Amino acid sequence: MSRRKLIVSVFAGAALFVAAFVGVVIATSGSGSDKLVIYSARSHYGEEQPFRDFAKRTGQDLLLRGGDASELFERLETEGDQTPADLLITVDAANLWHAKDAGLQPVHSMVLDRDIPPDLRDPDDEWFGLTIRARTIMRSTERVGPNEVTTYEGLGDPRWKGRLCLRSGTSEYNVSFVADRIAKDGRVATERMLRRWKANDPKIYGSDTDVLEAIADGDCDVGLTNHYYLARELEEDPHFPVALVWADQKGRGTHVNLSGLGVVKGSDRAADAAALIEFLTTPAQQRVFAENNHEYPVGKGARPSTIAARFGHFKRDPIDVERAGAHLADALKLMQEVGWD
Amino acid sequence: MRRADGWTWLTICCALLVAAPLVGLPLSFVAAPGGLAEFSGFVPDALGATAILLVGVGSGTLVLGTGLALLVSFCDFPGRGWVEWALVLPLAMPGYVFTLFALGRDVPGIRSALGAVCIFTLVLYPYVYLLARAAFLAQSRTLLEAARGLGLSRRAAIVRVGLPLARPAILGGVALALMEALADFGTVNLLGVRTFTDAIYRVWFNAFDRDAAMQLATLLVSVTLTLLLLERLARGRARYHQHAATGDVVPPVRLSGLSAVGALVVPIALVGVVVVAPLAQLAAWSVESIREGLLSPEFASAARNSVLLAAMSAVLVPMVAVLLAYGVRAGGSRFAAGAARTATIGYGLPGSVVAVAVIVPLGWLDHRMNAAVGTGLLLTGTVIGLFYAYLVRFLALAWGAVETGLMRIPRQLDDAARGLGADRLDVLARVHLPLMRTGLATAALLVFVEVMKELPATLLLRPLGGDTLAIAVWQATSESLFETAALPAFLIVLVGLLPVAAMIRLSGRRGAELEAAQTAGAWAEEYEVTAI
Repeated sequence: MSRRKLIVSVFAGAALFVAAFVGVVIATSGSGSDKLVIYSARSHYGEEQPFRDFAKRTGQDLLLRGGDASELFERLETEGDQTPADLLITVDAANLWHAKDAGLQPVHSMVLDRDIPPDLRDPDDEWFGLTIRARTIMRSTERVGPNEVTTYEGLGDPRWKGRLCLRSGTSEYNVSFVADRIAKDGRVATERMLRRWKANDPKIYGSDTDVLEAIADGDCDVGLTNHYYLARELEEDPHFPVALVWADQKGRGTHVNLSGLGVVKGSDRAADAAALIEFLTTPAQQRVFAENNHEYPVGKGARPSTIAARFGHFKRDPIDVERAGAHLADALKLMQEVGWD
Repeated sequence: MRRADGWTWLTICCALLVAAPLVGLPLSFVAAPGGLAEFSGFVPDALGATAILLVGVGSGTLVLGTGLALLVSFCDFPGRGWVEWALVLPLAMPGYVFTLFALGRDVPGIRSALGAVCIFTLVLYPYVYLLARAAFLAQSRTLLEAARGLGLSRRAAIVRVGLPLARPAILGGVALALMEALADFGTVNLLGVRTFTDAIYRVWFNAFDRDAAMQLATLLVSVTLTLLLLERLARGRARYHQHAATGDVVPPVRLSGLSAVGALVVPIALVGVVVVAPLAQLAAWSVESIREGLLSPEFASAARNSVLLAAMSAVLVPMVAVLLAYGVRAGGSRFAAGAARTATIGYGLPGSVVAVAVIVPLGWLDHRMNAAVGTGLLLTGTVIGLFYAYLVRFLALAWGAVETGLMRIPRQLDDAARGLGADRLDVLARVHLPLMRTGLATAALLVFVEVMKELPATLLLRPLGGDTLAIAVWQATSESLFETAALPAFLIVLVGLLPVAAMIRLSGRRGAELEAAQTAGAWAEEYEVTAI
């Protein structure tokens, strides 16, 4: 290669590279400025329809950015007042508390106040529940009778030794469950319960679905999962040999977590974002969420899916978002100490 | 020391820019002195799991990789040519994809430290295999024949002369495999093994304590550095394989009967389990997911983003590597060389740590720049931040390949060219670039494939609408939607096969193969130096 040729090709290459770089930056950076940007922790497979409907109805462009709730939250914190996000959707109440801490703004809406029960929204109206997810006891229909275990404490009974399945302790549902127990029962009682669970040598799985399938396969007999995972299994196979037990019905009620949403403080389209919240909590849209993933609607007047309805009515013990959120680190440490991997 | 010139300064600045986020990690101890104390319970577990991984994966890859390399280097059997290259294929299988396959198949006991050790051993042994094989091929028959002449059996000669000669290359391969294992996030997270990466993730994402997470990351960095230092000490000043690398290649022994069948069947079965079976399963799931319309609607844009990011990085990262390597060579400054080496430690770190280290200063910078000139989130809001993270994380790969290429060009050649009236630019254009072509291509391919697979940094730093295939896989698997995850995973593995295929093509000529082998050996060796 001659010197001249080198210089020419270096410059041509550099120009090409810079052009390509700018191109890639632009192509991969869906600009959020002209769109309503939603940071959503719900894995939105099959859940786009309500958003599309809203876009169509209002003539706005919507942009969904998926991700782990805590990752999205981390992102929001870094972006600060420059964030492109307008709305944040989480699958876990503890994350809502943290989001509020770092930057949601209140939404004053008569409609939301009317439609969403007070225990399922923030006292300061900064976040609202979208759907309810109950975390409760699962049993094998073949090997465990309906009344053999009825409380979370009961999973620590020695009769379940070697017969208990749990999801990994990294799951945010488990961390929130433990944080909520610490907030309500205190650390000592919670530790006692977890240690008794642990004494039963629980088998640990990576997901709620794996826990259910382990029970179905006979690898264990009882477990703890969110209710809609069982609904998904029953949708595939109506004879799936696992049944749900509503835990603690004689006590505080079954632990429920919230998938919720709120308007981001840095949002420059707060009114549009609030309108989207109102839209998503109307009975018709609640019905779409309920049908798609079998979660319970928060909105008054919306029915759960047929399968979820078959699980029957239950008394719920809503997560105390404020207090549970403050105990997240304690929950994590406690689970580490008792060895819930 | 010569007076530092422009090149040298450019090199130093560039190296510091890449090294800065990692060097800044310990600052987290100043920012929140009590952070780690609160989560001190995580450290013993992380150390324990990390020790199990190090010992297990270390011995596993050592035995498997060296054994297979011995087999194909010193024995001949029908189909050896195929086996020799098929054994490299697992390199294309990302750990988390194989884990996804194993989980989907309900392999008993897989969710344990032992399961993680097995998976890492199966997907990482090619590092040891490649480097050991390269070293064996580079050994001269003279030495082995001398050993035979002194009364050793053939087997004893290989064990007592051949293996020790290959020790630096083998340990280099093990070190690469271990660093990959330490840096892994997807596999240990899916398997619930409490390594440092896992602890960092939990503290950061479950308890929202970023400072404590960065402090844990600092501990991990020191584990990695200790490991490299130990390896370096164990090897001492051993460089002898290069001196032994003259003369004829050792002629292999012809196997027959049962042993020939075994030599063919065992490696094929191994590759079958690690590559073919998961690929077949993924293909079946892919077809199913397409038929059932489970395909995520963002699939096409995810594939496009993956390719764009990977292709761009494959140009950008080697370019910086060339700049650094050339600056170090031309300037001859020790400080520049040290700075360049510091810039490559990112490879031994999990992507999540690199992500933490990158997003914090970039976010800070973004807000300052925005306040001053109103640029918005120029760095963290676009792929620029992501490219920066890739650079920090993968520079070592490109640097190794480029620097090795450059190292094999004797300085005398530069001097001769300069003596003949060429200036520095001429030397670069007419001497170095033609000689470095292979190294550059290798660097680009390695970076391309690694970026395709990269998960944690992409997860955190991707801009709006910037989902990639790796993210699609992760999101779907974390919801147990294995079938939805299949097609993107399948594509990632297929793309990963590219560099392997390229290497196989390169090997068409025996000479080229030997050269590639030696490059690989020298690369590992250089990497050692680099990492310290």
